[in-house]
Amino acid sequence: MTDAERMTCPACGEQLADGAQFCEACGASVSGVPAPVAWAGAGSDLDDLSPISRPTARDAASSGPPAVPAPRACAQCGSPVGDDGYCTVCGSKAPSERDHFEQAPSAWVAGVCDRGVKHARNEDAMALFAEPDRGGRAVLVVCDGVSNSDGSDVASLAAVQAALEVLRPPLPKGMGDAASADAVATRVLTTAAAAANTAVIAHTEPSSARPASCTMAVGLVDGATVRCAVIGDSRAYLLPDEGEGSQLLPDDSMAQALIAAGHPREEAEASPHAHAITKWLGADSPDVVPRVATVTADRPGWLLVCSDGLWNYASEPEALRAQVDAAGTTEPLPLASALVAWAIAQGGHDNITVALARVGPMPVGENATDDERQVHG
Amino acid sequence: MAEFTAAVYQNEFLPDGGTDVNAIVSVTCAGAGTAGQGGSAAAGEIIIIDTSGSMGVESMEAAKQAATAALAEIVDGTYFSVVSGNGAAFLVYPPVSSGPGMVVMSPASRAQASAAVAQLRAAGGTVISTWLDLAGTLFASVPQVQQRHAILLTDGENNERPGVLQQAIDRATGYYQCDCRGIGVDWKVSEIRPIAQALLGTVDLIPGPGQLRAEFEAIMRTAMSRGVADAELRVWAPQGSQVVFVKQVSPTVEDLTSRRSIVNDLTGGYPTGAWSDESRDYHVAIRLPAKAIGQEQLAARVQVFAGGEVKAQGLVKAKWSDDSALTTRIDQQVAHYTGQAELAQVIQEGLAAKAVGDEETATTKLGRAVQLAVETGNDEATAKLRKVVDVQDADTGTVQLKKAVERADEMALDTASTKTTRVRRS
Repeated sequence: MTDAERMTCPACGEQLADGAQFCEACGASVSGVPAPVAWAGAGSDLDDLSPISRPTARDAASSGPPAVPAPRACAQCGSPVGDDGYCTVCGSKAPSERDHFEQAPSAWVAGVCDRGVKHARNEDAMALFAEPDRGGRAVLVVCDGVSNSDGSDVASLAAVQAALEVLRPPLPKGMGDAASADAVATRVLTTAAAAANTAVIAHTEPSSARPASCTMAVGLVDGATVRCAVIGDSRAYLLPDEGEGSQLLPDDSMAQALIAAGHPREEAEASPHAHAITKWLGADSPDVVPRVATVTADRPGWLLVCSDGLWNYASEPEALRAQVDAAGTTEPLPLASALVAWAIAQGGHDNITVALARVGPMPVGENATDDERQVHG
Repeated sequence: MAEFTAAVYQNEFLPDGGTDVNAIVSVTCAGAGTAGQGGSAAAGEIIIIDTSGSMGVESMEAAKQAATAALAEIVDGTYFSVVSGNGAAFLVYPPVSSGPGMVVMSPASRAQASAAVAQLRAAGGTVISTWLDLAGTLFASVPQVQQRHAILLTDGENNERPGVLQQAIDRATGYYQCDCRGIGVDWKVSEIRPIAQALLGTVDLIPGPGQLRAEFEAIMRTAMSRGVADAELRVWAPQGSQVVFVKQVSPTVEDLTSRRSIVNDLTGGYPTGAWSDESRDYHVAIRLPAKAIGQEQLAARVQVFAGGEVKAQGLVKAKWSDDSALTTRIDQQVAHYTGQAELAQVIQEGLAAKAVGDEETATTKLGRAVQLAVETGNDEATAKLRKVVDVQDADTGTVQLKKAVERADEMALDTASTKTTRVRRS
């Protein structure tokens, strides 16, 4: 791709990385920017060595004043946010769109990714996909950039997008039996991790002494089948409305190693090196093959994929369930927002990502309207 | 076209529960051009010469020469007039009694005005309110003059009832700017300084007739270099906050807090007058409701508004932190100018106390002034203070009032009290 074909940020004009959702210069969301048409002027045969810069990548017909996006509303008071990024009435700093973003690809899947309180930037990232109807397919990817590595905020965002692209198409069914389907799923999830790893490395300065690195947690929903893959200490939980919840896979962390050696979880997770991860994505990672697990959601509940910014405050499935219950909503986006707000209220010491999919059979009350619609529609 | 830039110096970190944000906003104007040459608005200059009997022959001759020198500096095309003042104000030039009271400067009008100035004679009293009012009337007689500036020279005490002069000052405030100079030691700084402060000008003492010509030339040259007719400092502060003060702190200390005009619910406008290519620093203090640790918010948007648009903006921020290494740091600029503003205040208070015979207060205040002048590297203030007090220990501010002080030295200290030095920026 030549420079002219690259996308530029509509807000500040900075060049965008391939597939970027946010401008790295100004933080504006650019996911909706259409790929510009190739510059068709006399210089269309220019190569990368050409000495002049091209004025724009727009063709003449479409060149008008750039669309001015509607001002954002302040999260604190609802007044318009000024061009300088602060509320025009209360002065609160509006988070950059990299610092706080939400996704709700369908009514049953949503997530919130937030900078938290103590960290200067949001190195967590999240990418979600879901078919419109509950009971269909959904993909939840969460990566947590390692904060003492360089540019991990950029790398983690690239990683979630790369993994999502691998997982978005329906999985091949293999021979049709469960064992074969599991083997195929494991292979695709491993491919997704490898693709995420490649994306991280592509966003790493080759000379970096602390190459960008991140964790990865993936939740895959296909009907009642829930699969997950984990590298590092981001987690997937299955939290049924009734009955015991579970963490679907153990962490790749020192804390987990201590638990495996017989220490109680609470003690292990409070140990000084608890958060040191033993597996990660990045240029210096020796092993990027994820752990993989498959379960069947036989009761209604939530698949929760999250970063440690949430589970630091509620590691046990029961503790998380308590917060889910306290939120008092069965809508995924309000619930994700409530869990993030709760983690912030606990101190927000790390970036927080909460991705949720409503899983399991639909209770009678919940699907009644859907049935009616089918009857009458 | 003039360009403004604004730079903000502050420590934005506040401790838990902290509410007060202080910032120095340094505003620089470049490409100002020449007064009256920029656009549709013309510039006007009025020279006001004291012709009271106290001027005497020597001062009167010096004043005439100074006025002539000032006329030479007024750029052709500028509207001007010359006013003489004693017990009443008289229009010296142009020689009209109705209609427009200002004419356009040209070689011919300059020669005629100089000839008219040469005819002035000293006689009568000093009623400054009438001088200010005539200047205002003259400016108003030429509506196309939008940039209005006057020079006022006086030598003696104003002879009118208290309050009358202030009313005249109030009528002129916001309408024209005025630089004031006092010649000799018989005028009162406390009378003339309010005129200069309200009319966004300077005040200074000219010890002898010999220095007058150069001073008038310099004032007029500066006035003619002000190509930006008028600029306003706009300060937005968030809902629920309080603007504690807005002060110009460089080149001189001028408290603008009470000069606020309402731009909108959250924004106040503060007059700054005309600008040449120059830098001025402003100290803005805002009180905010405290927020939680980790929160960030805007404490003020400080804008330069000129020619109907915002020319530059500086953002004053507040970030609450539990890291005392961050929150206890005091910004060098803020500290420097806080000291300089206090310096101006204690000099004025010290001299006022001395004037009424309160030696104890005078000694304390002027001692503090010596301490601050040394701390903030204000060598001019230090030198002038040393003519009024004997310094025993500058670091602790231990001083004794001198037994015999030249009145001119005391007045020079008073008029110079508001001049500040800039901190060296690394």
